[in-house]
Amino acid sequence: MGSRTTFMQSLGILAVLSAVYLLLVFIVPNQYYQLMLTLVAIWAVMGISWNVLSGYSGLVSFGHAAFFGLGAYTVALGLLHFNLSPWIGLPLAGLVGAVAGIIVGLPTFRLRGHYFALAMLAYPLALLYVFEWLGYQEVALPMNRENPAAYMQFSDGRIYSVIALVLLVIAVLVSRWIETTRFGMALLAIKQNELAAEAAGIETRKWKLRAIAISGAIAGAIGGFYAVILIVVTPASVFSMLTSAQALIVALFGGIGTVWGPVIGAAILIPLSETLHAELGNILPGIQGVVFGTAIVLVILLAPEGIFWKIRDLITRSDRDGRSGEAPVATALVDAGELLERPEAMAGKTVLEVKGLSKSFGGLKAVQDVSFKVPEGAVIGIIGPNGAGKTTLFNMLNGFHTPSSGEVIFEGENLVGLQPSGVCKRGIGRTFQVARPFARLSVLDNVLVGAYVRADDDATALRHAREALALVGMEKDAERTAGGLPSKEQRLMELARALAGKPKILLLDEILAGLGSSEINEVIVVLRKLTESGITILIIEHTMQAMLRLADHFIVLDHGALLGEGKPRNIMRDPKVIEAYLGRRWRERA
Amino acid sequence: MLEIRELCVAYGGVSALNAISLTVNAGDFVSIVGPNGAGKTTLFKSISGSVPVRSGHITFEGRDLIAIPAHERPHLGIAHVPEGRQVFPNLTVEENLEMGAYTETGRRDWKSNLAFILNLFPILDERRRQLAGTLSGGQQQMVAIARGLASSPKLLMLDEPSMGLAPAVADSIFEAIVEIRKARNLTVLLVEQRAVEALESCDRGYVIETGRVVLEGEQNELLSDERVRKAYLGM
Amino acid sequence: MSDGLILLENFLQALAAGLMVGCLYGLMCTGLGMIFGIMRVINFAQGDLMMLGMYAAWYLFTGFGILAFLGPYVGPVAAAIVAGPLLFIVGYFLHQFLISRVTGVSVAASDNQGHYAQLILTLGIALILQNGGLILFGSEPVSIRTPMSSSAWEIGPMVGEWVSVFLNKARLVGAIVSVLVALGLYVFVNRTRLGKALRASADNVEAAQYMGINVDRAHRIAFGLGTAITAIAGGLVATYYPFQPYVGIEFVIVMYAGVVLGGLGSIVGAFWGGMTIGLVQQLSTLVLPIQLQNTAIFAVFLLVVFFRPQGLFGKSVERV
Repeated sequence: MGSRTTFMQSLGILAVLSAVYLLLVFIVPNQYYQLMLTLVAIWAVMGISWNVLSGYSGLVSFGHAAFFGLGAYTVALGLLHFNLSPWIGLPLAGLVGAVAGIIVGLPTFRLRGHYFALAMLAYPLALLYVFEWLGYQEVALPMNRENPAAYMQFSDGRIYSVIALVLLVIAVLVSRWIETTRFGMALLAIKQNELAAEAAGIETRKWKLRAIAISGAIAGAIGGFYAVILIVVTPASVFSMLTSAQALIVALFGGIGTVWGPVIGAAILIPLSETLHAELGNILPGIQGVVFGTAIVLVILLAPEGIFWKIRDLITRSDRDGRSGEAPVATALVDAGELLERPEAMAGKTVLEVKGLSKSFGGLKAVQDVSFKVPEGAVIGIIGPNGAGKTTLFNMLNGFHTPSSGEVIFEGENLVGLQPSGVCKRGIGRTFQVARPFARLSVLDNVLVGAYVRADDDATALRHAREALALVGMEKDAERTAGGLPSKEQRLMELARALAGKPKILLLDEILAGLGSSEINEVIVVLRKLTESGITILIIEHTMQAMLRLADHFIVLDHGALLGEGKPRNIMRDPKVIEAYLGRRWRERA
Repeated sequence: MLEIRELCVAYGGVSALNAISLTVNAGDFVSIVGPNGAGKTTLFKSISGSVPVRSGHITFEGRDLIAIPAHERPHLGIAHVPEGRQVFPNLTVEENLEMGAYTETGRRDWKSNLAFILNLFPILDERRRQLAGTLSGGQQQMVAIARGLASSPKLLMLDEPSMGLAPAVADSIFEAIVEIRKARNLTVLLVEQRAVEALESCDRGYVIETGRVVLEGEQNELLSDERVRKAYLGM
Repeated sequence: MSDGLILLENFLQALAAGLMVGCLYGLMCTGLGMIFGIMRVINFAQGDLMMLGMYAAWYLFTGFGILAFLGPYVGPVAAAIVAGPLLFIVGYFLHQFLISRVTGVSVAASDNQGHYAQLILTLGIALILQNGGLILFGSEPVSIRTPMSSSAWEIGPMVGEWVSVFLNKARLVGAIVSVLVALGLYVFVNRTRLGKALRASADNVEAAQYMGINVDRAHRIAFGLGTAITAIAGGLVATYYPFQPYVGIEFVIVMYAGVVLGGLGSIVGAFWGGMTIGLVQQLSTLVLPIQLQNTAIFAVFLLVVFFRPQGLFGKSVERV
């Protein structure tokens, strides 16, 4: 995604890395260095596990030790009590990790931001005490002398390194597969703005659960392998905060949100800390933790997204700087243009009907008993002072808020109770007051996020995205980086994202904010074109002049209630509307 | 008094102010109008120092403002009443005003300023011990303006004082501003979306769009300009 | 003595212990609550800063014995209180050189992923403190030796010759000092000009700056104070609780549970939250095995975050 290397290219990189790794395994002089190489692979995998959840989706986990430790104990106890070979134990540990991930995810995904991170911290610590209480302070994996290979017991340490490499390759492939498919796009959208992602038709909860299940599976399996390597498992060695921290640190240090980050991080940090531990461990017992702590502090201060991105940004900087200097088109006050009346616009059949919609927050009635009908192909302008309930109304129409009472009937179906993604699937798209583009992605990729909701495969999604860009006249900008776009282009891109989901109704929340008068005219032309193709538009806007030229019909809200509706010209003369919204001076001047 | 030359500000590579220049003379009432997101608030923030300036100059009474840290600028006599009021919701009305009087001059003039404020907005006297977050929007706007006055400023900057207020309430706020200016002989810089009210109260005005000044002039020049009338005054 | 009376005695004993420990936890939480309330910084290193406070008190009284002349009763308490200013300095400079890089005015303006940067930075600091502590102080558990740790005042017998509650002297003295320090902080924050400026900075960084408040300095002071308060609580805990460099992690969850329970951002609430956690911990010993005492806290903590996650961040959901 971020880099546009294809899946095949990453296979090539992976093959080279594997070859280098194997070469190292067979030339290093002794067991100690072999073990170190094995540990590099183990922590790279653990970092990838963390990255799959936290790096891609932005939900920071401080609790990956929970999955790791459960995996380790699955293998250890399976072997001890049921004579279960680690060859079976490892996949089983992965399964346990996945299940634990889902069990943890189901309640914890209700939390956001800090709360999610804090709650995740509690799981491994609670497990630590539980395993101590269960009497598993120290579980040694029994040796099997008759058939060691069948129990993953080898005298040659190089075999362990090879197994670790295989696990790493699997983890990289899984992670890379996520990155290059709609799975990764969904997680990225969640990271950027979860609500907007949901509104673009992405079933955020489903994708997050999938991510934590895969993440937990990887951590569980590698935890199981760690038990095989260490032979003795203690709660403190697998459930400790350092385990969770180490996963996070290798990913963060190398580069967050890319599969290569954890690999780079582990390759640098593990040998460093192991060497220090071996050289100085006797005199300075906590040196490993100090190294990791210092690594985090330095990375946060110097390269907050990790080495990978820092280097990548340094390479691409000159390119971006050139663009950001691009000044917006010369602006001057432009003649506002004539009002446009479409007498037949309100004659279409009703596509959306709002009946008695209300919403209260605590004691505050944000929207009260609002009813109106929207005919197909019309442009409905929603106006009213700040805090009148306009955005709350939109939030109920697209499923962010469940109304306290009332119905939203779209093509004969009541939408109340549906998730925003469900509403989007049925054909209602929306844009937001504050545009938040995925700055590192191209314009096309930004639009693509909105296309998946109505596309069964990636090729269809891509076609829809290109069509949407064409609709707003931005085909030529498809490959530009979204970060440096001027505001008009950002607005149009956001419009294209909503259009890529092939909506029948568009909810536009202040799409003209921040634009100059000539730019407003350009966007209005685009919106006009859309209505001609049969899309129905509901728009919130403060710029009255633009609204007068765009809307066929006004709905006026004040203090959450419907103050009036009708033809724009009539509404502008309505004394109630003038009193509540336009102001007495409007009347004096008009 | 305030002189801005070729000021440029950008957020993450996207330009917000593009070589803006403007002048405010001592005793002037200057209004800045323009559509939502044109850069008016950014202009204010760069004067009070809460956004970094990319290039250009800001001088206040001959001193280079850009070299002065944001938290020291109020001590020079600049009061910024921010957009959306931004009162301290968990402080009482009186504590809000005390914070307004955080500067040396504010502490010196505390008693007389308080008397002036409570006379201007009697409702605030009644609500002195109430948490500011529990006030209505109009009352919060009064607190925000009063807080600015409590520092005994030379320059009062008001960012969208009518935002989110019903027209009748907004009108009373505009009246209060005109009254304050008369009584205290202040220099006022006003940013407003309600162009009619803003231009009617001012001596001079600027029209800003997409981070540039597109028009400037005396009050009557702007009010009679055909393009302004169409785009902002709704005629 | 009948079963019922034994049950009653056990309950009252746990209740008394819970109230005393609760005061100490309350003070700890107040320190963290101050840092979170004023800066919105989740500080993972708070437990480890408390550990530093414990060692500071230990060195003052036992290790170097500077305050040993005050005797076995006044000395430990004085050591705990002196640990406060020492850790204020640590907190103040920690904020100036590290924390401020990812928080405060500069970050508030740029809408970056500041939150995660803070969380992860403090995690790094926590690791350095824990393991640096291991290097400096060793892994052997220590405690501040005072005869108060092993003696108690007896209340009762309440029913005939039975039902006595023993109040451990170290805990009781710690609890009283905690309440006094918390009250002092309350007065400072609500009555002084600096205290009000801290609260103003907490409410709205940008507006505080427009008032001429040096918000960065206010944050440094708040971080220093929060650290100092928690360090005093740690010094008091050290009079009855053996500790080692990893002790912080045991308490960081206690503190977060308390602060979240009390309502994020409320300094008074944080004290009551800590008190509740103390009670839960001690009363849980009546029904749970002793090893699961901390698991009970985690369970309460999780319940709290699940059922009261609103307050601060809940609002962000409503405004898209």
